[in-house]
Amino acid sequence: MTIKAMLAGSAVILATPALAQEQVTLDLWTIDDPGEYHYVMAEEYMAANPNVTINVRTVQFEDMVNDLARSIATGDAPDITYIDNPEVALFASRGMLLDLTPYIEASEVVKVEDIYPGPLASVTYEGGIYGLPRGANTIALYYNADKFREAGLNPDDPPATWDELYETAKALTDPESNVYGLAFSAVGTEEGTFQFLPWLQMTGGDYNNINTEGAARALNLWKQFIDEGIASPDTLIRSQWDSTGTFNAGNAAMAISGPWEIPRMSEEAQFEWRVALLPVPEDGAERASALGEGDNVILANTDTPDEAFAFLEFLYGDMDRVWNDFGYLPASAVEVTDPKYPEAYAVFEESMKYARNRGPESDWPQVSGAIQTAIQSTLTGQATAEEALAEAQAEIDDVLGN
Amino acid sequence: MTSSRSSFRDGRGFDRLLVGLTLGFLLVFSAFPLVYNLIMSFQEVDLFTLGSFDRPWVGLENYADVTGHRVFGLIATNTAIFVAVSVAAQLVIGFALALFFQQSFPGATWLRGLFLAGWIMPGLVVGAVWSFILSGDFGVLNWGLMTLGITDGRVFWLSSPDTALYAVIIANVWLGVPFNMILLSVGLSAIPEDVYEAAELDGAGRVRRFLTITLPLMRAQIGAVLSLGIIFTLQQFDLFAALTQGGPANGSNVLQYWSWELSFTDYRIGQGSAVSVLMILLVVLVAVVYVRSTRHEHVA
Amino acid sequence: MLRDDRFARAGLLAIALVLVGLYLFPLYWMYVTALKTGTEISAWPPRFWPETPDVAVVEVWERLRMGTFLWNSLIIALGTTAVVVLLGTGCGYALARVRGLWMDVALFLILMMQVLPSSLMITPIFVAFSQFGLLEYPRLSVILAQVAKLLPFYVVLVRATFLQVPRELEEAALVDGNSRLGAFLKINVPLARNGILVAAVLIMLQALGEYVYSRSLIQERAFQPATVGLQSFMGPNTSDWQGVMTYAAIYVTPILLFFVLLQRQIVSGLTSGALK
Repeated sequence: MTIKAMLAGSAVILATPALAQEQVTLDLWTIDDPGEYHYVMAEEYMAANPNVTINVRTVQFEDMVNDLARSIATGDAPDITYIDNPEVALFASRGMLLDLTPYIEASEVVKVEDIYPGPLASVTYEGGIYGLPRGANTIALYYNADKFREAGLNPDDPPATWDELYETAKALTDPESNVYGLAFSAVGTEEGTFQFLPWLQMTGGDYNNINTEGAARALNLWKQFIDEGIASPDTLIRSQWDSTGTFNAGNAAMAISGPWEIPRMSEEAQFEWRVALLPVPEDGAERASALGEGDNVILANTDTPDEAFAFLEFLYGDMDRVWNDFGYLPASAVEVTDPKYPEAYAVFEESMKYARNRGPESDWPQVSGAIQTAIQSTLTGQATAEEALAEAQAEIDDVLGN
Repeated sequence: MTSSRSSFRDGRGFDRLLVGLTLGFLLVFSAFPLVYNLIMSFQEVDLFTLGSFDRPWVGLENYADVTGHRVFGLIATNTAIFVAVSVAAQLVIGFALALFFQQSFPGATWLRGLFLAGWIMPGLVVGAVWSFILSGDFGVLNWGLMTLGITDGRVFWLSSPDTALYAVIIANVWLGVPFNMILLSVGLSAIPEDVYEAAELDGAGRVRRFLTITLPLMRAQIGAVLSLGIIFTLQQFDLFAALTQGGPANGSNVLQYWSWELSFTDYRIGQGSAVSVLMILLVVLVAVVYVRSTRHEHVA
Repeated sequence: MLRDDRFARAGLLAIALVLVGLYLFPLYWMYVTALKTGTEISAWPPRFWPETPDVAVVEVWERLRMGTFLWNSLIIALGTTAVVVLLGTGCGYALARVRGLWMDVALFLILMMQVLPSSLMITPIFVAFSQFGLLEYPRLSVILAQVAKLLPFYVVLVRATFLQVPRELEEAALVDGNSRLGAFLKINVPLARNGILVAAVLIMLQALGEYVYSRSLIQERAFQPATVGLQSFMGPNTSDWQGVMTYAAIYVTPILLFFVLLQRQIVSGLTSGALK
């Protein structure tokens, strides 16, 4: 029954140093479908490096952690995989990932100081660097400039504070024509946490400190949005993508979501849409934004770490292409020439500077679950914001062992 | 019972072989996962120790954690409501439809066949379609109810803790009706016409004929449909995933979905397994009741 | 009297049509949604027919290479059904004929085996299959896992059918010198064929809709069935509902047609009943 022992044995036999021109096969897992980032990049890399074969396999986003854990347990793990930001700590804390620090130090291509602080934090765990971001995303406020004009508001002056957001959303709400002022997502999944954390962080809290006045204020504002019919009650079950769908259809005048919406929005939205930074609690308050997208990591028991890192380096080296070719924001300081949707890009690029990592925390899913529960029980009126947050804090403390 | 078996005195081996084949297959392919779950429910299981049984034993700690959990009562109640209402509604509607289509009118069999559409559609698709239909803002169900004047405003079926569970039940009943109807139809058509004719001559009305002839003769079918219905309902997972994810605030969470959440999104695999073992106990009960009910069914 | 009867029958037909219409509405909604473009899906009031129906069938078929997916679905569903029928028919028969403590225990065990949803069974199955090297034969793995899941259901169904086959006919055959197997195949199976057929069809339809096992046990896209293709298509940030519904329509329509064409064999068999 000791699969691990067998694994260790086979790893020793296989771990002979690869010769320069020897044929190498790398197994790569991704959440992409054919034609998307990893497939395209692997093709390009194989064309340039005929001695390397990359087998790409699609794993669905929500299955990645479980499939990866199972494959590690049974000895079928890939060499390289994509994992979502908050899960790097989960794998790194169990010693499943290769520490890339020595490789990065020797690298001509990867410079740690170029990587933005948020993405860098997402791959850092207890001093080691366990992956390279493949790109990034973050959230901002989309708004319908036409509806602003109809309501007598100035589309050049989007809401910048929470109070303004509330006033503006209220003014834009028009139940007669089935228009909500604001669309966002408070769904009981990681996406709900993703949307809520920036609100918490702007008021000085973070995932390990959520029982704060600022958090209660944010949750009460969210509740007000729903209770007053400014946002749909279905906000509680809609993903960001589905929420923004209502914005595109003209059923919401503003929406909080990320750059992944842009291709669909520019196709479907029959109005002038614009993007602004997330509103802050009050003028001059600290900014924060969510950090999305994921990282390319190398599994600790790969037989070909050098070849695997060479491929990661190649991916990282093409960071300036990710916006125009694949729709992610660059995770490091690179010059994007002639960006698509230049105005939106400018806003998201600035927002990236405030993007903060979720964690790092090796039990992230449990922390996130507590936050989701707090959001949902407040919004459904089962608990006050203060009660819900206190309960979530207790659970989080329990998980973090405080 | 002994007399009926004595005529097959030479063939008991044959029966045992037939049952043994199936049982053997199931022991290999189904019993292993169940035992595996059982073992994990007494262990501290990490996402990365799935491949070996060599894990720390924690006794009943997982069970204590789960049953002592703040939401356990809510989820257990939800599960009971979900199963009871779904199974009852499926049976009543399915039986009513089976009786209705038993009458002779043009196209009766053909139209009845169309009800199997619900059985054909993959769970994923059913979930997606119902999420459109039940949507609060643009759902066609709300439109229908408002147009007919039944409700004044929109009902947010999926996002209100009061209705979310019932929204999933509606979709689940829709899925389960064809199964009930078709199986009960098979049973109904096996009841010989002359039994009814005799009763009719004796002056028994429709209701009495139903109560004294149909129901007793359908005992085996009803037993099968009920127990399978309960098991199917306890297995229903896709609809929760597609419609409410157990939310809002666990308002529509049930044991099977919670178990999955604990194991695969919170990675508390020991606790998730403990919940699944509790479900197994529930099904043991159902199975006992079913097997006992079959003891009286030798009517044919 | 005759006139009344005709009225009554027309009335029944009308009611039947309404019932079928109501029941099939979600199916209709799937088709209509497949014809709507993005924003129209969330329009209020809902549109019962899209303004400009947009057929995405060819696009979806080609982009997702649905041919392979459907072929795999068919192989898996047929394989599952075949094994289930082969194993389960005899078991259902024996459980209907013989009573006794051991048979009760067997029936109980069989029911017990299908208690957990696939989503909870998959981890142990995956670990076991991987240890035995079964994952090298991905489609066979799924067939075996599915048989284990569907077999109890089938056994309970055919058992109920065999209960309705009169014992006297079988006994007569045995007196005529048939073996147990001969009597089973020549008397019981033909007499129970409608029930067997219906149960087999139900099994096959279930097998066609399965995705949890396929998703985990089949790693290579070339062997995946259509449900897995559909599920990966419904990912968090790519859900194009028109595409999803088009995909679903492409998937469901042939099964529905097959069903409508085989009505006579499948459903009308129920009413005519082999036992009269």
